[in-house]
Amino acid sequence: MSTSDVRRLSGAGLAWRAATLAAGLALALYGSLVGTDDLWPFAPMTQFAFYVSPDGQIRAAYVEALTTEGRRVRVPLNARGVGIGRAEIEGQLSSIVRDPSRLQAIADAQRRLHPDRPQYRRLILHERVTILRDGRAVLVRDEVKASWDVRP
Amino acid sequence: MTTGRLGGDLDRTAPPPAGGTPWWRAALTPAVPLARVAVLRVVVYLFVVADIFLFVNDVVPHAEGDADLYRPLLLRRLLDLPTPSPGYARALQLAIVAGCLVAATGRLPRVSGLVVAVAFLDWVSIGMSYSKVDHDHLALVVATWVLPTVGTARLRDRTRSEAAGWALLAIQLAVVATYFLSAVGKIRFGGWRWANGSIFAWAMTRRGTPLGRALLEPPWILHAGQWGVLLVEALSPLLVALRGRWRYLLVAVFAGFHAATFATLTIHFLPLVVCLLSFLPLERLAPAPDGPGQPAAVVGQRTSDS
Repeated sequence: MSTSDVRRLSGAGLAWRAATLAAGLALALYGSLVGTDDLWPFAPMTQFAFYVSPDGQIRAAYVEALTTEGRRVRVPLNARGVGIGRAEIEGQLSSIVRDPSRLQAIADAQRRLHPDRPQYRRLILHERVTILRDGRAVLVRDEVKASWDVRP
Repeated sequence: MTTGRLGGDLDRTAPPPAGGTPWWRAALTPAVPLARVAVLRVVVYLFVVADIFLFVNDVVPHAEGDADLYRPLLLRRLLDLPTPSPGYARALQLAIVAGCLVAATGRLPRVSGLVVAVAFLDWVSIGMSYSKVDHDHLALVVATWVLPTVGTARLRDRTRSEAAGWALLAIQLAVVATYFLSAVGKIRFGGWRWANGSIFAWAMTRRGTPLGRALLEPPWILHAGQWGVLLVEALSPLLVALRGRWRYLLVAVFAGFHAATFATLTIHFLPLVVCLLSFLPLERLAPAPDGPGQPAAVVGQRTSDS
């Protein structure tokens, strides 16, 4: 194949391609430098983009339930579980602490999504707190943040 | 096919301008074999089908659920796209699957590709309109928009095309933007001390696999990892700048990075990983070109990398 066997673009074809690329790159840069999530697909790349102090705390929420079978289980906070993610619970932690009745939504979701499985009688929201010193976990403690007796 | 209807531009087979191709033209629209685009199309369009069922798979459940949670992104507000009803979501799903299956065969590449581009952007932007935005779809969305602009590209066609080169460059730049702007985001939101913090310990403690949690001790492992990731992301523009084996080596580094985040955190970023393929001489996977006058040297031809 000779080098001359190339399918070339017209001037207009080159021009719109150059302009599109430049506009796309400008938007991506703008979004990352000053934009917010609202600008998606040109939103800033915020995954793991925050500072965690090596002498700070790592908090992770989890929800425990007493079931209608009398067992104590960990509530699966994901799409296939109760359809409510851990991040969603964590984002609303303070409002749940103020008003534990909001945990009812978890029991309602279990009834709606998994009517054939054991249901939740009582829900307990915990936070596992890992204390760091120089980037090393030195203490792990469990805090009960809220509990709720599920309405039938 | 030699006409480019989508942009109104005319592609034509012609010798390069006297004195060779100017540098900016070689950078913007490098001539690459059409077979490379043909192979990438098969992978991208089949992946998009998998994506809407495996990854951005909450669009139909969201549409069936509570519309109160719907917070449309700017893009949807600007284009006046509707609050998705279950029927709307199902229609999009059907359009994406049908469009992808046609486009993956290489037939009607502009029409089927445009259907996929529009419907997939609509779909993913719905998925991101419930208060959680993911960052792994930029390159894949770009790929669905630029692949149709190449027009017909057959698996056996080693003809080099500037339109093909531009489409691949656009996907490559979207990949690089995802990495490089991740480094920018870390500095913007985490400050210059980000890499000396304990973000990886935070991640491993909260969602690490057994392997991920094993890396918590001693802490210098994850501390070094933070510097490594920031450095590699900042150097990602080299993916476009480098050629040949150095480029492939860097592609392998990024693929390894994704494998590591999957093994330690079960975060896979597959929609981006698929687009890493745009850096590779995919035409070597295609059936050998047929017809007379195809010298064996075509297989080892290095110009296809430029």
